[in-house]
Amino acid sequence: MNSLLRTTFSYRQGDFRLNHAPPKSKKRAWYALFRTELTAWVTVLSLTLSVAVWAEDTQKGYQLGRGYTLGNSGVHLGGYAGAEIEGLGSTPWSFNINDLSLFVTWDNGSRLRFFSETEVEDLLSAGEHQSLDGRKAQFRLERLYLDYLVNDNLAVRLGKILTPIGQWNVIHADPLVWTATRPVATDNLFAEHATGLMLHGNVPIGEHSLEYSVYGDYSSALEPSRTEPPFFDNALGTHLRYTIDDDLKIGFSYVDFALQSSASIRNHLAGFDFAWTHQRYAINSEIVYRNNDAKTNNNAWQGYLQGVSPIVGNFYAVGRYEFFDQPSKQFGQLGVLGIAYRPIPPLVWKIEYRIGEHNRDLAPDGLFSSLSVLF
Amino acid sequence: MVRLSALFIATIIGLVLPAFADEPLAIVTQLSNPLQSVSLETLKQVYLRKTLLDSNGNRWIPLNLPASDPIREGFSLALFNKRPDDQEQYWNEQYFQGINPPEVFASEEAIMRFVEITPGAIGYVRKRTVDDRVKILATVNIRTSR
Repeated sequence: MNSLLRTTFSYRQGDFRLNHAPPKSKKRAWYALFRTELTAWVTVLSLTLSVAVWAEDTQKGYQLGRGYTLGNSGVHLGGYAGAEIEGLGSTPWSFNINDLSLFVTWDNGSRLRFFSETEVEDLLSAGEHQSLDGRKAQFRLERLYLDYLVNDNLAVRLGKILTPIGQWNVIHADPLVWTATRPVATDNLFAEHATGLMLHGNVPIGEHSLEYSVYGDYSSALEPSRTEPPFFDNALGTHLRYTIDDDLKIGFSYVDFALQSSASIRNHLAGFDFAWTHQRYAINSEIVYRNNDAKTNNNAWQGYLQGVSPIVGNFYAVGRYEFFDQPSKQFGQLGVLGIAYRPIPPLVWKIEYRIGEHNRDLAPDGLFSSLSVLF
Repeated sequence: MVRLSALFIATIIGLVLPAFADEPLAIVTQLSNPLQSVSLETLKQVYLRKTLLDSNGNRWIPLNLPASDPIREGFSLALFNKRPDDQEQYWNEQYFQGINPPEVFASEEAIMRFVEITPGAIGYVRKRTVDDRVKILATVNIRTSR
């Protein structure tokens, strides 16, 4: 194999180094044709050999948490699954296989890339007043987009995306976050998804980098299952994330939007987030503020501060404080205290207790536990 | 007697503790790549899959050795100040965005073979194993256990 590769490479180099004077008239045409064809064949052969060597030498095959590549098609399959149980609160206990998501990525090394996430929600559920039932299951298109790399600092994305506000919403999958419950501030004041156009990229600034995204939502065509409002009617927003060093990142979000439920009212939301990690410790925070043009006072502050610390082995302690303004209701706040166990990186089991005041509607008290895995 | 004891203790420590050696790694790419060098910061961005195109607009294809390989560990520590295992959370988050970590190759020879014939491929091998099949873009010193 090695000798064959070397021969091919020399042959190709020989091709590129042809320095003879081109023949004239018909001979010139034949020469050009021959040269073009030879180059094409050498390119094809080179790619074929690359693929052959790649197949022989790479550690391919299915890997838990990293998915599966379909041969040399550029198609990669993966996903995650999660189940959740909650109880001991004011609401009846319930069990739910609430996430089964399939990722399909296509990336063949060109400047174009495709990604989709299809989710089966509420695959199986049971509860205090309900036997095990799969009839609530429904498909949902969580994300679907095409990315085109214009250059190394700019890509154009077209399709349905997770709204880039803060950190949690864009990595909300259960195996990636530290608690079974989601902070109120990460989905209450804005739509989780946007459908339209996004420009995004990464700009180096000195030794650090700035990730940016600018997006507009102008369509609800990819939002057929409207189970979890609010939804954007239209939106224009941006998110900036600055990497101060390997352990510390800060972010800023702004979005101007109207919701489908009240399309005539314009909302303005600004947010700040930071993430600090060091070895196995982590501190994260997000704060958002929304105001709007409505006559009633709907201005709201919401936020959280969360800390993670290793305890022993792969067990971690997690604590979180949240606060949230609620339109027409009293200021709410709560605390979450829990444990997360990560025996292997793609698998996580969590258990936590949440308690607070004026939190019954948005995040009621209770014990929550989840088991989830990236596959 | 004191000297003998000190010598004895030093010998025991030398036998018990792992010994480390500096090893220069060569960052290699295809001979036909017009780039002559690459900075460590760029290399870091390439291996984090943040920088996807080289200065000529071609896609980078970064290559890794297996996570258990001491050369991979040395490279990871030199570049990111983190062991491969410490980057799992980062790659889990990237995976959720449809971005996969660099391709893993079984050996340095496998990396050399792939780099030799693949435009855009970039990998690392010990400098003493480099031959005329590839071009060196940079050198990174790592510490490996002997």
